[in-house]
Amino acid sequence: MKFFLVFLSLMSFGFAEKPDGAQLFTTNCSACHMLDQMVVGPSLVEIREIYNGKPEDFLKWCIKPGKKRPNAIEMPSMVHVGEEGLREIYVHIMKVAEGVKAKEAKKGDSYVTSPVQTKRPQIQRIFMPDAGPAAIAVALDQTMSLCWDAGQCRLRYSWNGGFIDGYPYWQGNGSSLAKVLGNIRYVEASSPFSDLGEPKFSGYRIEKGLPVFKYRIGNCGITESFSAIANGGGFNRSFTMTPASPAPVVLNFPSDQKVAYTSDKGKWVGSKLELTAAEASAFTIHISFK
Amino acid sequence: MKLRIFCSILSFCTAVSAWTDHFSFDAIPNPVGIDPQVGAMDTLPDGRIAVAFHRGEVMIYNPADQAWSLFASGLQEPLGMLVEKDGSMLVMQRAELTRLKDTDADGSADEYETVFDDFGMSGNYHEFAYGPAKDAEGNLYIALGIASNGASMAKEIRGEFSEIGDVDRAGMSDSKTWGKNKGKAGRMYSRVKWRGWVLKLSPDGKKMEPYADGLRSPNGIGFDAAGRLLITDNQGDWRPTSPLYDIKKGGFYGHPASLVWRKDWDGRNPLKVPVAELDKMQQPAAGYFPQGELANSPTWPVVIPEGALPKGIVNQTLIGEMNQPTMVRVLDDEVEGVYQTALVPMFDKSPLGIGNNRIVFGKDGSIYVGKTQLSWAGGKGIVRIKWKGKPYAQLEKIKALPKGFELVFSQAIDPATLAKLKVKSHTYAYHQAYGAPKAGEQEIVPKGVVISPDGLKLTLDIGPLKENHLHLIDMSGLLAKDGSKIHGDKAWYQVVKAPK
Repeated sequence: MKFFLVFLSLMSFGFAEKPDGAQLFTTNCSACHMLDQMVVGPSLVEIREIYNGKPEDFLKWCIKPGKKRPNAIEMPSMVHVGEEGLREIYVHIMKVAEGVKAKEAKKGDSYVTSPVQTKRPQIQRIFMPDAGPAAIAVALDQTMSLCWDAGQCRLRYSWNGGFIDGYPYWQGNGSSLAKVLGNIRYVEASSPFSDLGEPKFSGYRIEKGLPVFKYRIGNCGITESFSAIANGGGFNRSFTMTPASPAPVVLNFPSDQKVAYTSDKGKWVGSKLELTAAEASAFTIHISFK
Repeated sequence: MKLRIFCSILSFCTAVSAWTDHFSFDAIPNPVGIDPQVGAMDTLPDGRIAVAFHRGEVMIYNPADQAWSLFASGLQEPLGMLVEKDGSMLVMQRAELTRLKDTDADGSADEYETVFDDFGMSGNYHEFAYGPAKDAEGNLYIALGIASNGASMAKEIRGEFSEIGDVDRAGMSDSKTWGKNKGKAGRMYSRVKWRGWVLKLSPDGKKMEPYADGLRSPNGIGFDAAGRLLITDNQGDWRPTSPLYDIKKGGFYGHPASLVWRKDWDGRNPLKVPVAELDKMQQPAAGYFPQGELANSPTWPVVIPEGALPKGIVNQTLIGEMNQPTMVRVLDDEVEGVYQTALVPMFDKSPLGIGNNRIVFGKDGSIYVGKTQLSWAGGKGIVRIKWKGKPYAQLEKIKALPKGFELVFSQAIDPATLAKLKVKSHTYAYHQAYGAPKAGEQEIVPKGVVISPDGLKLTLDIGPLKENHLHLIDMSGLLAKDGSKIHGDKAWYQVVKAPK
């Protein structure tokens, strides 16, 4: 009798604890794997194609996953589910995916032609190549664009052609950078104000769709704004300094670029612009591509 | 006999009585040309709804004519928003907390003012930024997610780099050799400043106080009606299942990566600190969302205002959920000053669907649920939920007792169904591995259930409660006297402190 009771309770225990593949799938897998289309990871249909008849391979992968797909996030190990549970999940996947056809994954950016994306000028904060993570991409018009770094308060580079393809970033949830569409024509390795001290970003104002960047160096507030020179020929760059500098200001621009520098104020010595204190309070530079 | 059959048919009919009997669920039209993944929402004083989308547009929805207008654009992954009295908006984006101002009153923002950006960015995709939540004095609280070893850092970072860790700066930022280094970096890492922290900002954003640490991916921060700062976090490494935290100044909330930024940190690699030592340091969760059963990725907490939902649950906290088709209602309790909660599903098995990232209440009593998926499972667009105004059966209150729980319902319970009340408990191991199975799960057979004369209050005797255990009270077998089921028929009560 005693034996019988123990047996019974074991039975019921065993029954209650037998993992249910569907439930385990919901708990552990459904956030990333859908039946008929790739979300974070491959669809169940695809998993079935890979692993049908190969439960041991499935098990191995779940316990020690690797990286197979360049654009997908690596799956975390499912070792906590346990072998028995993983086998039940396997059976569940093979069953539900049988005879199901995968939906064609939508390729490309559905919003690339939307008026919001194509309007010019355009300002977009996004991860950009060759810039800090607080980068801002700006389309000045249809052909001139630039990358401004809000972390370092400086222009990084400018290009002509198109603007950016942000889809790799948006689709990849930030794990890929936006792509520059066009040819980079001008690069700055440091701020023209780098002699004055560490800048601190304070935001931007929008005038006619274009940003007027604001930052401070010490107690001096600087604004920096841009406009395009026609036909992708370069860009104009206006600065204000408030309060006016007590001393003359010298700005250093790169000397190795294929551009011509001119300005409405100051004196150029090579690629250096020398401004009197009064001139430095508001001036515009023209950077024309050669 | 006939009567009994009739009754059981009736009770069957009403038993399937669902959320849709009491609520309407309607998708609102998406704005044209916008990827409608919702990162942040708030209600304007005039009742219009401000919504920030995945690609950085902030749009305003007018429920009166269902029209959208563009207020701002170009932000980077906005994940939190607070409309201010003057109509300007505080928006948390990846790189900063920004104030959007419409200074010329033309209906779109022309001033993008940086309120606060003194935190690090490694360029890793998983460093999301959340907030702000505003306290009664106007101070702002933001929460910063940590990086994932699903990718390396970028070559260029913002702010200071922490040398603490087995992989150096060059290794951390080299995507080509990352496969070799990622295992040593920690599943999630905090190598730039204040990642994994809650920061308290003065109302003008000029002063910052590092407030609490130990967070992982806190996609939910807000004050509850009692003024507690609540944060939800996501199951993962050091997170057996998703927790709900009541954030206290100076508290450590379990994920060790952020410890490197403590002023008095001794320089040890947090991954090598004995687990027992970390466990002793950590603040307990006030609630747990059991993975797969209730929620896998809980989101923003909001306070239920008057009018949108039945009176008995006004001022309770409602939380969204990404991966399960539900929201979660928080039932508060306090034992010897310790806040602990029961979490109850809401709108489960309804047309709500998954991806429930942000919730706001309209001035007309509508509940707007903004959905997203990013690179995970989820949804898009906005669902408007409207209560039809009729009361329905649900659990309104729960209280831990020395020997069980007291449950208060909105409708009288049928005493004949009390025997169907089931209770289970389990706990979780605290460890570095990703998630944890239930430990020590056991069924608890109630010793007795006493029902009050009005049928609203149940006193459930299960003997002394076990601290650090999640107690499931399964009400799926209960019926109200009118034969209807309990809406949200499970409650998971995390006993932090057992009453004496």
